[in-house]
Amino acid sequence: MADETVDVLIIGAGASGAAIAWSLAETRMRVVCFEQGDWMNPLDYPSTRTSWELERFGKYGFSPNGRGRREDYPINDGESPIHISNFNAVGGSTILYAAHFPRFHPSDFRVRTQDGIADDWPIDYAALAPWYDANARMMGVAGLAGDPAGPAKEPPLPPVPLGLLGETLARGFNELGWHWWPSDSAIATREYEGRAACINLGPCIMGCAQGAKGSTDVTYWPTAIKSGVELRTHCRVREITLDERGMADGVIYYDGEGRERRQKAEIVILACNGIGTPRVLLNSASARFPDGLANRSGLVGKNLMFHPYGLVTGIFPSALEGYKGPTGCSIISQEFYETDRSRGFARGYSFEMIRGMGPVGTALFAMSTGRVPWGARHHEAYAEIWDRTAGMVAICEDLPEECNRVTLDPALVDSDGIPAPKISYRLGENSRKMLDHAVARGREVLEAAGAKETVADAPLAPAGWHLMGTARMGRDPETSVVNEWGRCHDVKNLFIIDGSIFVTAAAVNPTNTIQALALYIGDAIKRNLADLFA
Amino acid sequence: MSDGFSAAQRAALAALLDALVPQSADGRLPGAGELGLASGIEQQLGAMCAFTAPGLDALDARARERGASGFAALGAAERAEVLNAHAAADPGFLPGLVFQVYSAYYQHPRVLSGLGLEPRPPHPKGYALEQPDLDALLAPVRARTKLYRDV
Repeated sequence: MADETVDVLIIGAGASGAAIAWSLAETRMRVVCFEQGDWMNPLDYPSTRTSWELERFGKYGFSPNGRGRREDYPINDGESPIHISNFNAVGGSTILYAAHFPRFHPSDFRVRTQDGIADDWPIDYAALAPWYDANARMMGVAGLAGDPAGPAKEPPLPPVPLGLLGETLARGFNELGWHWWPSDSAIATREYEGRAACINLGPCIMGCAQGAKGSTDVTYWPTAIKSGVELRTHCRVREITLDERGMADGVIYYDGEGRERRQKAEIVILACNGIGTPRVLLNSASARFPDGLANRSGLVGKNLMFHPYGLVTGIFPSALEGYKGPTGCSIISQEFYETDRSRGFARGYSFEMIRGMGPVGTALFAMSTGRVPWGARHHEAYAEIWDRTAGMVAICEDLPEECNRVTLDPALVDSDGIPAPKISYRLGENSRKMLDHAVARGREVLEAAGAKETVADAPLAPAGWHLMGTARMGRDPETSVVNEWGRCHDVKNLFIIDGSIFVTAAAVNPTNTIQALALYIGDAIKRNLADLFA
Repeated sequence: MSDGFSAAQRAALAALLDALVPQSADGRLPGAGELGLASGIEQQLGAMCAFTAPGLDALDARARERGASGFAALGAAERAEVLNAHAAADPGFLPGLVFQVYSAYYQHPRVLSGLGLEPRPPHPKGYALEQPDLDALLAPVRARTKLYRDV
């Protein structure tokens, strides 16, 4: 039996779903969000146990295929050198993200105009700027004003301490005359809106036991729920259904006991990330949309973009206290961000510094790189790297290519029997050249900072954190899936608000932009409520 | 087939631990054998013990060829020789086991203390972290002109 019709049904309670739920709460419409995962308990996060370092190989690992949680769905990423990393819970992948929180550059929205490749966005930086500001207040962004690498902004919280490791690397950048800046970080560096201050636990990427990291279960959701939004966990959507006019009229989903149920809704909003969203659309094929819902353009699932990562680790001659402090938040460099054709590729990349490893991580790094033998020389060799590693990742801009795509796997299904996504992806030539450049520059700056040796890994296989482009936005229904405010061209009461709608990928972590877009779309929905489906 | 090791295999594993991670020369870090890690590793391996057991048996067999009753009965130098010989003959034997041994060893409170760390998880105490003089450190960056393109 169908539940009562709701005004707005949001699918997914992660970064974007939480933001738009909060945005729409003030309308007093009945807003319900379905999340296939559950609430997390921060006191269960690994940093509360001495075994914390090993838990990234278990239920706090990046890959849904390795975690073995019922809340996750499997992903066939065997045909991709970069493997999907995500998390399914209230908060979505913000539970495991590093909270590195940069903004796009103005040029990121004008790639075709400026560089003659890919496409322009139908919106620009100025349109998102007020929503970046609003998101900074809601997520609690720490940072420092005055960065010459981007438009002016005023982070509400002071920056994360660099520590000895960050200072050491910053001096390396200064030595070469390269740009660096304290990272914008969604981390409460002092008590903020009921959140405790960061105490530099380290493993942000396995959940923040302190509650200082801005995952949306501790930022947007408490406020949205207080304002009347209803969040239902363990609700996994199989497909979006249509009425006789071709408008979305709700979903078919499975509850926590695996029972098939229906939910009617006046407006449906997809917020399932760049893999989950095309999966739902492709699973919603019908006589009206035989190739998948809202897919008359044929672009649902296509143009998948990651950020190919190059990891460079330096081994230093003295201790860096690298096991202290937020893993991915110390400093950023955008020296090589904007296009310079003399480098042999278009577009560019950011460097994000990575803090050091704990004792187990150090031992396993040593083992995997053949650096520390077992036996008589073990301790002597281990002492040469313990607390002496510092890393950096190059986050490279991927370009949209239709051959990189999400389809439905013909055999693989989740625990409710819903067809699972399959990833077909290969690294483009531009990305490959960019990675080579980035690894070489990464080695150079680590050596300038004092590293006596460097080790590189590119493309970093488990780095499919950023999932973009698979339901792109644009003004032309022939070449895009949603319009300039997230509404599907083909289904006027169906919106998409996650990274799927990115036209290009930029070269920074996308969560801040995903959320700013969700707030921007929420605002557009509110402004157009009177004639939303005209 | 049982999920665990036999008594002889357990003895070989216990002896193997010190061969992999002996006590440090200055005595600050204990050998893996004296930390009682064997039962935890056996538990961690679970059903995978079946893949490790033949290697432990092979160590005993190689020790018997030298006239000892088993691998555990050898001295430290001989254990290293036997282990090296077996690792060369069966390259798949050690990597998984070394992963387990390092994982268990480097989270043990005595080892953490030996490394100069407090023997505790990061939460709830956390760590203090210094903020350097950002004004001084950023001076050369602030002196640059803007680095992004107008559109």
